[in-house]
Amino acid sequence: MHGTLSDQSLIYLQISRMLEDDILRGVYREEEQVPSTNELARGYSINPATAAKGINLLVSEGILYKKRGIGMFVAPGAEEAVKQKRKAAFYDGFVKPLVKEGASLSLSGEELLDMVNRAIEEGASQ
Amino acid sequence: MNTGILKAEGVCKSYGKKEVLHNLDLEIQPGKIYGLIGRNGAGKTTLLGILTAQNTMNSGAVTYNGQPVWENQEALSHICFSRELKPTLFSGQNNLKVKHYLKTAAIYYPGWDQEYAQRLIDEFKLEPKKKICQLSKGQMSMVTILIALASRAPITILDEPAAGLDVVMRERFYQLLLEDFAQTGRTFIVSTHIIEEAASVFEQVIIIDEGRIMENAPTDELVDQFRYVSGREDVVDQVCAGLQVLSAHQMGRHKTVAVRGGGVKLAAALDADVDVSPMSLQNVFVALCGHGDAQ
Repeated sequence: MHGTLSDQSLIYLQISRMLEDDILRGVYREEEQVPSTNELARGYSINPATAAKGINLLVSEGILYKKRGIGMFVAPGAEEAVKQKRKAAFYDGFVKPLVKEGASLSLSGEELLDMVNRAIEEGASQ
Repeated sequence: MNTGILKAEGVCKSYGKKEVLHNLDLEIQPGKIYGLIGRNGAGKTTLLGILTAQNTMNSGAVTYNGQPVWENQEALSHICFSRELKPTLFSGQNNLKVKHYLKTAAIYYPGWDQEYAQRLIDEFKLEPKKKICQLSKGQMSMVTILIALASRAPITILDEPAAGLDVVMRERFYQLLLEDFAQTGRTFIVSTHIIEEAASVFEQVIIIDEGRIMENAPTDELVDQFRYVSGREDVVDQVCAGLQVLSAHQMGRHKTVAVRGGGVKLAAALDADVDVSPMSLQNVFVALCGHGDAQ
């Protein structure tokens, strides 16, 4: 577990996102157990029902699965599933606002793409 | 745990000519942590007193598992209302020593857990031989918390438990509450003014305003109904047309409004040139109950 619950979005979404982050970083590998509802509740001082909601969201997306009587585990293929989900969210959460901000600065599509390409090159040369 | 539903129906309460609770209905479901929030004088303590038959009402009914709670020892032994101790009173329970006050509670609550009580006395560093009125405000809060937790009552009510506690103790209190809840799954009702740090502990939030229940909803569902929308005045007005605007704040042409409305309508706002940001429970509370005072 890492981080704190600080931003304003709903707590159960923050919980599911933190678990996803940890799956991407290899903190929890496929077929490994993730913290239980009560461990999460204690760790972040949140209501167990909220923690359960965050976990259940990932279960419904096939990222976690339940082993009866044992706990919650990372599903096979979870890392790829999280990446796919994040890619979709990346488009909505970053690319669209980027284009919107570009439009409000009267940047043409070409200028915007030039900037993106420049950023990619600078990132590669670092 | 064997918990029942605590229910208030049509409760009216007046002090003299002033009616403080107006035809109030409330249902407390088992196995949840409820947060009760309201402004000063909203009727929180009066309501909690009536729910636990420690205060009278003018009309209405309060039942636990379908049975009236008034003078019902069986029902009342399932409900613990740990009242806030008032430092200014030098009579009644304030003249008792801490250990005697705790002993009274131990007799009253059939589920009293003496071992747990002792652990909390040690952790809170309370001196059992001191009189209640000699305690600091924070220590008084610790005594009320101790009684609430150790009562192990299926319905446990805490009135302003965080008042007077420093931030370390407040965090510890919510930890203890959650640990206990994870173990027992009993029902808690916690009233507080320090909303933000408690918001993540409450599964359900009850907002009381001017003697009426304004909201009784799952915390995240309630909070998710609200957004701040800000941008140029005319664009903001256009986006928020048809939504319930709770408060508005203007600086020149820049306008920020707090709105309540379906996520679908707000999705439309994402395409307009405005900023949409989520609100915290505290923001929601101020927007709902501020009545313009905070602006």
